[in-house]
Parts: sequence; structure tokens; C-alpha cells
Amino acid sequence: MSTTDRADGTGLPDPGRTPPAPPPAVSAGPAAARPGAWGRRTARRAGPRRRPLWPEALALLLAAVFVFPVYWMFATSFKSNSQVLTRDPVLWFTPTFEHYATATGVELFWVYVRNSVTVTLGAVLLALLVALAASFALARLDFRGRRGMVLVVMAAQMAPWEILIIVMYLNARDLRMLNSLLTLTVVYFVMALPFTVWMLRGFIAAVPRELEESAMIDGCGRGGAFFRVIFPLLAPGLMATSLFGFIMAWNEYAMVLVLNKAPQAATLPLWLTRFQTNFGNDWGATMAASSMFTVPVLLVFLILQRRVTGGMAAGAVKG
Amino acid sequence: MTAQTGQRPSPASAPARERLRRGSSLPYLLIAPAVLALAAVLGYALVRNVAISFQEFGRRELISRTTRWAGPDNYLRVLEDQRFWSATARTFAFMAVNVVLIMVLGTLIGLLLGRVRKAVRLVLSLALVAAWAMPVVATVTVFRWLFDTQFGVANWAMRTVGLSGYDQHNWFGSGLSTLTVVTVLVVWASVPFVALNLYAALTTVGPEIYEAARVDGASAVRIFVSVVGPMMKPFFLITTFLEVIWVFKAFVQVYAMNGGGPNRESETLPVMAYIEGMGQNQYGTAAAISVLTLLILLVAMSFWFRLILRQEKEGQP
Amino acid sequence: MRKLTAALAAAALAAVATACGTGNGGGGTGALTVWLMDGSAPQEWLDELNAAFEEEHGVRVDVEIQQWDGIQDRVTTALSEDGTVDVLEIGNTQTVGYAGTGGLAGLSGLEDEPWNEPMLASARLDGTLYAVPWYGANRVVVYDRAIWREAGAEVPATRKEWLRALETIEENTDAEPLYLPGRSYYVMGGFVADEGGGFAVEEDGRWKGALNTPEGEAGMAFYARLHSFSDAPADNDEASPQQSTEIVPNRPVASWIGLGWEAAAAIEAIGERGQEADFGYFPVPGPTADRPGHVFLGGSNLAVSERAGDRELAEAWVRTATSARWHQRFVDAYDGGVVPARTDVTARPAEGSFAEAMVASADAGYLPPLTGGWSYVETEPNPVKDLMTRVLNGADYRTAAAEADTEITARINRD
Repeated sequence: MSTTDRADGTGLPDPGRTPPAPPPAVSAGPAAARPGAWGRRTARRAGPRRRPLWPEALALLLAAVFVFPVYWMFATSFKSNSQVLTRDPVLWFTPTFEHYATATGVELFWVYVRNSVTVTLGAVLLALLVALAASFALARLDFRGRRGMVLVVMAAQMAPWEILIIVMYLNARDLRMLNSLLTLTVVYFVMALPFTVWMLRGFIAAVPRELEESAMIDGCGRGGAFFRVIFPLLAPGLMATSLFGFIMAWNEYAMVLVLNKAPQAATLPLWLTRFQTNFGNDWGATMAASSMFTVPVLLVFLILQRRVTGGMAAGAVKG
Repeated sequence: MTAQTGQRPSPASAPARERLRRGSSLPYLLIAPAVLALAAVLGYALVRNVAISFQEFGRRELISRTTRWAGPDNYLRVLEDQRFWSATARTFAFMAVNVVLIMVLGTLIGLLLGRVRKAVRLVLSLALVAAWAMPVVATVTVFRWLFDTQFGVANWAMRTVGLSGYDQHNWFGSGLSTLTVVTVLVVWASVPFVALNLYAALTTVGPEIYEAARVDGASAVRIFVSVVGPMMKPFFLITTFLEVIWVFKAFVQVYAMNGGGPNRESETLPVMAYIEGMGQNQYGTAAAISVLTLLILLVAMSFWFRLILRQEKEGQP
Repeated sequence: MRKLTAALAAAALAAVATACGTGNGGGGTGALTVWLMDGSAPQEWLDELNAAFEEEHGVRVDVEIQQWDGIQDRVTTALSEDGTVDVLEIGNTQTVGYAGTGGLAGLSGLEDEPWNEPMLASARLDGTLYAVPWYGANRVVVYDRAIWREAGAEVPATRKEWLRALETIEENTDAEPLYLPGRSYYVMGGFVADEGGGFAVEEDGRWKGALNTPEGEAGMAFYARLHSFSDAPADNDEASPQQSTEIVPNRPVASWIGLGWEAAAAIEAIGERGQEADFGYFPVPGPTADRPGHVFLGGSNLAVSERAGDRELAEAWVRTATSARWHQRFVDAYDGGVVPARTDVTARPAEGSFAEAMVASADAGYLPPLTGGWSYVETEPNPVKDLMTRVLNGADYRTAAAEADTEITARINRD
């Protein structure tokens, strides 16, 4: 991941690779007998690299810990039913694809997929569009009520959506907007909006003003300057931000459960839970469904992550 | 990203924000869609939620579409309920433990990412990404299951390691134990966000600072405390703010794990509101709980609001 | 799962025909929407019934199979919507509660059918019929014949003989004598009913929890005695883990208490592991030999939504589905494994079958308090279940029961 993004044009320096800059005035503490961890590494750079092994070992151990539940989900999805629940876990097995057949064999499966994709993409794009405008104003323009708006955006992230389900339901019912993908899209869009504004504002703030101004001097209007200068630089930020909206909308369960009771308006999270019933839990199918449900998120993540974290950090540091 | 340091713009550079001529409507046009959307969907819902909190609102009212005003009864009932106060205390304790663990572990792992060689960094990053990307619905199922009394991998691992008492150890036997498992889940799922972003943020700071500090002979801890820390202050401020809110609001993780049990000992405020509302159809009471929760959270976060708003001010020319 | 898939296929075909995404509000679409719970109706019976109904009335019947997960929210909200659902299956302990909300239509036209009287009680509120019984079911003891033979244990007729049999199995085999999870509260309720008690009592029009009583204590004590023969944890119920498919097929269990579909599911799961189940069945023994122990008479009713698109049509479907002809076919489809809702329909269980043991104990069935608020007591976190876990973990019964009673009293009087 981030190791590879040095060459991707983000221009982020890799610690330990760039030559040291002239020391700024840092108040030094009492001289330590041994150089610290950060120092030791650079100190050795001149000679043959012989770093201590424990950080690498620790990192690999941590990687195993973090990946284990994910691995367990995938592994279980390939086990036969009698191997799923055993006193001692079955570690070696011949993979079976029957659970994937069960999971995708559910009637209306492709309708759920289509609905989930429609709602998720719709909500994310809408959120990006609306947030882009708002965050530009918040980051670049000074106007009365700006701080109030910042406060609103911050506070809106506290919205207790799980509790508001019944109210959202009442509103949708009274407006005759139940069982509608549009309703769901709008709700998810608003759920994602505060965080999206928050993030984008940081990204826009991180784009140097000089660039924009020189573009304006060169004859671009404000809009032109925005689209020719800021927008391209924002691409990583937009991607990073869209990921959060994507995960949120893709996963949402409680709202769709009561808002969309018609089978043809259901989404994948409802499908995910249907293998756990009062008549027994089909764990294999649940895990197969969960695995398939996770893959798109993982893919989106892997495609975007290089930009995600780099951009995200820049945004956050710039606050 | 061409910006590389977290320093404030120097006096010579352009002002951070442009002061438009008086009465320009541009900013308002730009924020209008966001404001309208928030007001129409979230604002209206919150207002209606407050209205319901002053109503006797059960499934009869829901189905027959009638309104019965109840005055402050719901609030009085909630405030007199010992369960509400213990849930409040529990929520704060849970939040504090989780946020501290997330921030500390996330920071350490983020620093570790900066230390290891490329290939190892890639492996660890991928593992973190996988944990981050796994949907909550799937996560809870797997965790519930890893800690299953009879078939759980956790018990198997304990037995394999040779610890006694884990033959059929029940990880959900008490509220504390349940919340501990939930904590493992929440920390596991949240650390990647902090670790990956901290690592990325560190790379934007650049290594010159460390070099300089090292030349001055500072220890690793000292460098972190007096150099990296202050530089990363905005990052820590915002990340902690987000984590506090996210953990405070964590509902699915707690509820799906053990339904707030056993004996309602792992019931946090969001879970309590959900049980009253969706479980007992006492929508009025649930609305009152949610309004109180929001007020408590706002008060608790006012410190952050002030800090972040002050930063907002500093950003002004 | 196969049954479910088939049912979903039917629902899907129906769904594709309706307009996508804009909701089926407003009714009057010319179709009748029927909500049945997952696993309730044999598919063949349902298909034939609907074909016949569609032919007679010229309307399409859309059956939407509902998952149990989150059903309470879905039913509550659906009853508040116009035309979302016309006919719906509701559990017999929940019906009175929904009737009290005004969400169910009165079914006076169905008053005069020869209903099974005890089952009718759960469908009536203040003299008005709000639903009709559809089927009943109760639990029996399922035992592994081979293990019992090996142990030399005999099928019991009284509690005393039952305990003796379990002791014999414990001494003579390695099997778990009885799998009984700690939170099977309807089984416990049966033992309390054996003592003459109940979950709650009505006093001057108000209900109050009645577990902190000698009857409650004695019922729970017997439950705890049985639980001591089990390796099951004190804080599981019979559904998590699923006793029929996740416990019984995976370890030697000499006996367990279950429903008909659970026995069938266990037989199938054991078959999947390449073995053959050899189950026998007997009613839960009572204190004396003259009558079996009380068992919870579970079941479902069929109701019509007050906001149905065409109430008369909906009532007609209910009438057809529960008519003597179609009900007999329903009961036969289950091989007599359900308690019929009509007196002119009889279950004809095969000898030695689950159904035989079930029918033998159906007369000793009990129902929880039939009040609007009972469904709130049943909803998790369920105070009866919590009481059981605490007592099995060593808490003082009286203290824990007093707390449970307070909670029951608070919930049971809700609308």
C-alpha cells in the first residue's frame, strides 16, 4: 500500500529516504545514551542495512491478528456443513462451493445486487456533489454564518440514526415514499453528507491558494480556476471520502428493514441475514454471503486506498 | 498533494479564506443544497423525534395514526429509571476504554508501519485494510462465533495453549465479559483507520524533523512527545473526536453481540433506546432517551467543539 | 432451505409482475398480498390453494414469506400502511396485542366455524374475533432409541420415572442424558403450570408477574434438576445454537425436548453426516401418570389487516385456507404433525411418530396470559429467560423472581 505510492505522483516523501533537511530549531532534551528508535534507523543508513528483526516480526504477527477474522469468514464459506461447527476447528479441508450456490441461488438475488449498487452509488455521488460545493465555501470563502455551519457539520455526525428509524419511517410513510429506492438513496446520502463535507473541506484547504490565484490571473474565472486547478488535485480526496460513504450505505441494515418491506425493493444486507433463521442457521451460506458482500468493499478499497490514506492524512493534518 | 507540512501559511502567502465583497450570495448558494438536505431529512427527523418524546407513542398510536400528548412524562420516567443512569455510566466507561485503546494501539501500529521494510509494510497494511473493509454485519457474526461457548476458536485456542477452564468457557456470561469481547471487536475494526492515517500523515510531515531531533540526541519517546505529537495535533484532535462519536454511537456491535445481555448488563445508551423503541414499541420513551443521549453527548463534546472551533479561528487571516 | 427457496421463488415471480420500486401502497391492485412466516406452509398445499382461489375469485395471490428476524417491526409498520399486506400469519401469543391496536379487522363472518375452542382463545379480544386459528404445535421429548436401549432406560410416564431414566443413562453411557439449554422458558412454563401456577395473574383488571410464588419456585426447581443432566450452558436457548441442527447431530445426546420441525431437521442433519437417526418420542411426563405434563401450545393464527385493500377478499382467502377441505389437506401434508384448528379435521399420526406423542400431550397444553402486553414480555431481553439463567448460575430464586415479576408487570400491562 503506502509503500508504493511514493511514485504515484502524490509527492509524499518516504521517511528515511529523503536527505535530511537543515535542522529546525527543536528544543533538544537531555542527550540520551542510546539513539532512539527513529534515529537508529537513519543512523544505520550509511552502512549495510541491519535493522533489528523484532519490528518486522511484530508487524507480521499483527497482520495475522488483523486478518484472522477475515480469513475465518472466507475459510468457513468453503467448508461443508459438518465441518463448520466442530469442537476443534477444522483447519484442512477440501473446499466446497455449495454455500455460494445457496447464497446466490436465492430468488431475487440479482435484484438485491442491483438495488444495493444503485442506492450506494447514488448516495455516494449525491453526497460528493453536494458536499463539494459546501466544503468549497467552508474552506475558501469567508461569510457570515461560516462557523455556525462548521458547527452544524460537526454536530450532524452525532445523529443517532438507529433511533431515528421510526421517525424516518413515519416521514416516509406519510409522504407515501416507502419501498422506494429513491427514499433510501436520499436517506443514505444525508447520512454520509456531514462526514463528506468534513473531509472534503480538509482536502480543499490543503490545496495551496496560490495555484488557484495564478489560474485566476491567467484568465480563468472562479469556476474555471476551481475546475481546472482544484478539482484535479482533489481527486484523491474525493476517492478517499467516497469510500466512507460507500461502506456506510453498502452496510446499512436497520433502515432498509422497515422502510423497504417489498421484496423487490430490498438490498443485500437483508439478504445477508436471511440464512440465519429460527429454523437453524446456515452458517456456511451466511459466511459465503458475507464473503461476497465483503469483496466489493475490499476491491474498492484496494483500488482507492493508495489515494485514500495519503489524501486523507493531508486533509486531516491541514484540518 | 503538493502540500507537505502542517505549518500555517506564512504571512507572505495568500490569506486562507477569501473575504468576498459584502452581500455576495455565492457562499450561500454553495452551502444551500447541503443545508437544505440536512434540514429536510435530518433536521425534520430530529424535530419530529423531539415531538414524539413528548407523546405517549406506542404501536397503537403508530398503527391507528393517532397522537396522544404526554407532556414531560417520558423524560421523568427515564430520569427516574436507575437503568438509564447505569447505562449512561457504562456507555462512558466503554467509550473511554475503547477510544484510549484505539488511539494508543492505532498510533503505535502507525509508527510501526513507518519502521518496517516495504514488503512487511505492504502485508500489514493489507491486513489492516481487510479488517477495515469487512462489513459490520459479517464482523459481528464471525466474532460472536469465534467466542462461541462450544465451538468457538477462542476456547479452542485457550485449550490448545494449555489453559484450564476454557473447556466451555462462556465469554458472554457477564456484562463485563461481553463488553470486553465487544471492545476487542471495536478496537480491531477501528485501529486500521487510525494506524493507516497516522502513517500517511507522518509521511507528509517528512523525516527532516526526526533527523534534526536525532542530531540533538532526543530519545524515540521524546521525539514523539515533543516533535511528532504537536505536529500531529490537528490529526489527533479530529481523529479522537470522530472515534469518540463513533464508539459512543456504536449500536450494532453491542446489540448484535449479546442483545445488551446477560441480564441487561451490557446495555449502553443506544442499545437501551433501541430496546425501548423497536423492542417494546415505547417510541415516546425511546425518543426521550435519544434526546437525552444527544444532550449528554453534546455537553461531553463541547470541549472538542471549542478546540476545533478555535482552530477554525486561527485559520482566519 | 429447499422449502424456503421454493417459497421465495413463488414470491419472486409474483414480485416481478408488480411495478418495481414504487411500492404497492394503496391496495386495489387486484392482487391479494399474504404474509406467511418462513416454514409455516407446505409449498405444494399453498400452490394448489392459491391456484384454486385465483380461479374462483379472479385475483392473483402474492405470498410473501417473512423471515422471523425483525418480524415484529415489519408487522407493526405494515399494519399502519394502506395495502402493504392483506392477510397475515401472526403467532398465537401475539395476536391479542395486535388486535388491541386497531390494526386487525374483525372477522365476525368466521365466528360460526367449528374451531378448536382452546385455540380460539388466542384470537379473540373483548368478544370480537380478530383472527382464526391456523395450526397448533407443541413440544415432546425426542430420544435416541439406541442410547436408551444401551443404557437399559425405559420410556417414562411420570417425572419420577423420567429422572430415573436419565440417571440410568448417565451411569451406563457416555451420552448426555438430556440436552436442555438454560433458557427454554416455555418448557419451564409447563413445569410451573404442572404446579398450578403461571407466568402472571390478573387482579382487578391488572396483570402482575407471578413467578415469585411457591408454584414458580417448584417449577423452576424441577427445570434446574433436569438441566443438571445437560451439558448445555445456562445462557443459551434452544435456538442459539440451534439444538436440532447444531447440537444433536454433533454429539451423543440421549434425549431433548423439541418441536416437530426440529425433529425433522435433526434427522436430516444426521443423514448429512452419513448416519441414520433412530428417534423415539414421548410426551413430557407429568407429576402423575394419569396425565402428561403441561406443554406450551404454540401456534399461528391468520388475520386480516384493517387497512387491507379488499377486506372481503382477504377474509375469503382466510375462509378458504381454513375450510375443512383445505385444512384437512394442510394437516395431512404435515403427516398429522400439527394440532388441527377445526374439530371436523383430524390428525392421523402414524404409530411411533412425533405427531402421535404430540397429539397425546396436546390436551395438557397451556397458553401464556392472553393480554396485549404479553408479546412485550416475550421480546428480548426476556425477563423469564434472564431469571432462569440467573437461578441456574446460583442466584437466589426468590430475589431473582421478584425482579422478574416487576419487569413482567411493567411490560404486560402495556397496550
